[in-house]
Amino acid sequence: MSLASRLPSGDGDRALVAGVVLVAVGALFALTPLQTTLPGAFYVFIEVGTLFAIYGMLVIGLDLQYGHTGLVNFGHVVFFAAGAYTVAMLAAESPFAGIGLGLPWPAALLAAVIVAGVLGAAVGTTSIRLRDDFLAIATLATAEIFHSLFVAFQTIFGGNVGIGSIPQPVGDLVTDTDTAMTANILLLGGVMLVTLAAVTRLTSAPYGRVLRAIRADDLVTRSVGKSVFTYKMQAFVYGAALAGFAGGLFALYNGAIAPGYFTIQVTVTVWIGMLLGGAANHRAVLGGLAVIMGLRLLSRFALDVAPVSSSAFASIRLIVVGLILVAVIRYRPAGIWGDAKELGVDT
Amino acid sequence: MGLTQNIVFGLVTGSYIAIAAIGFTLIYGIVNMINFAYGEYITIGAFIGILAAGALPVPLPVAVLVAMIGGGVVSLALAKGFFTPINDTGPIPMLLTSIGLGLALRNVIRLLAGRNARYFETSTTTFRFEGLPALSVGPVDLLGNVFVTSEHLIVIGCAVVVFVVLHALLTRTDVGIAMRAMGDDESLARVRGINTQRIRDSVWVLAGVLAGLAGVLIAIQTNASASTGYAHILQILAAAILGGAGSPYGAIAGSYVIGIVLALSTAFLPSGMTELSSAVAFVILVGVLLVKPSGIAGQEVREA
Repeated sequence: MSLASRLPSGDGDRALVAGVVLVAVGALFALTPLQTTLPGAFYVFIEVGTLFAIYGMLVIGLDLQYGHTGLVNFGHVVFFAAGAYTVAMLAAESPFAGIGLGLPWPAALLAAVIVAGVLGAAVGTTSIRLRDDFLAIATLATAEIFHSLFVAFQTIFGGNVGIGSIPQPVGDLVTDTDTAMTANILLLGGVMLVTLAAVTRLTSAPYGRVLRAIRADDLVTRSVGKSVFTYKMQAFVYGAALAGFAGGLFALYNGAIAPGYFTIQVTVTVWIGMLLGGAANHRAVLGGLAVIMGLRLLSRFALDVAPVSSSAFASIRLIVVGLILVAVIRYRPAGIWGDAKELGVDT
Repeated sequence: MGLTQNIVFGLVTGSYIAIAAIGFTLIYGIVNMINFAYGEYITIGAFIGILAAGALPVPLPVAVLVAMIGGGVVSLALAKGFFTPINDTGPIPMLLTSIGLGLALRNVIRLLAGRNARYFETSTTTFRFEGLPALSVGPVDLLGNVFVTSEHLIVIGCAVVVFVVLHALLTRTDVGIAMRAMGDDESLARVRGINTQRIRDSVWVLAGVLAGLAGVLIAIQTNASASTGYAHILQILAAAILGGAGSPYGAIAGSYVIGIVLALSTAFLPSGMTELSSAVAFVILVGVLLVKPSGIAGQEVREA
């Protein structure tokens, strides 16, 4: 019997195995004196790859909300920010600006998940009953409110400077940069795959079928005796808590946070990734996100040869991103790998 | 500064928000979409006005007309290119398309116009009303000295003219009556022989014209930059929803509420927290959605 045939067959189980292996290898780099040296050209790939792992968790949570349940959450970044700020304020040790309590980071990470989940519940109870497009506006407005709160309250959130000196668990264990980067991408990638496995488990269970039934027609779902509001609420809170977890990990990885990391740009990126890949399919949304973030990578290289300034180039990249969103909705509403019939859209 | 002065500022802000909010809410009521790219229409209008007044020097009133016509043409062209083909897909794909289009347009403008803000060359006359007694209640001065500039008067005057013309259009002309019919029930309107696509096109033109006017007025009041419209879109949205999405008269009322609340919150928030004044508009928006989502004069937007 070959090794390949012994691997579990389900998507979720495979992701779980791969995730655990990645975490184990990452831990090997972080905990043992084992070292790596990376060629300089690799840095940018590792950086974008690590960010992809974090955004991957965001898109998986968003896909649970929109792809499976049909909740149009256009303020996903607020939960990401809530998680990151919770970790920063609880774990940072006497930062330059803002609050830093210096608590141990695992406790802060746990708090991040709870805070984001509670925020999700608060936003959910108030706005989930709104019609789709108004839910989008309410969540978007929530994100904008919090963004301006983070900027305005300098003594609490550090204003535009943000909060620094957040402990970096990996960076503290490993002194050498190359090894730390390797350990980070492996650990975060592994954690992302484990979340993928968990969410896949959830959505392939009968529970996931109820969510998709709600997306297709919530009146029918209610008529067969399912409490639509409860299910919507749960999906919304799970997605929010997952985003908070991703935010907490981002703070621990980056070591500093500022409002600039949590703009509407993040929401737009994960939304486009999800729609491009194909909503309601976890692997597809990750694929779509990879395409969009690959574009970011590509544009970094293109910048070196392009005859325009970097700010002009940033504008051009955003024009392309915006037009991709328009084109996907118009020509492939189910995304690249999505199932048009299941999503109920015409191609 | 006294309360009266801040109410003057609020009326000015409310006026240009109202002009834009009418356009926004007409699109919502008749095309049945939240157009998030509408802020960019305003920016485009402002820049067309600046170009007309600066590059080929024409007097300001002519520049305003040019901006309005330009706004209408741009709006119709964008609708034909992006929104009309997906008219039947429902509100969410159209909202997402407008978000993508807005992102693209904003950056096209930034690319073409650069990051610097542009100003209109206007001469301002200031009318001061001094000697009003200060009527202090605690730290708040209820009267106090008031000044009004000619720019303020132009903005408020334009808004009043727009309201009158719009009311005449909606109640006295065939197109306007057809628009209201479509806002009520599109299928019934079609049964009665209304060419719904033509009405939709005229709504796009009208919304573009209003965006052009609002853009120039905002540029006269402050300045024009690539983010001018985007900075106002959430306020416009809040005003339109507060008034009851789809209702132009509600939007006017909502706009003045938003304008005055913004002005007062800027004045009375402690210094260093003036950034919060923009958050106040969103707090109102979320509050309205929670308490009375149908707005001052509108329809139900909750489904369960």
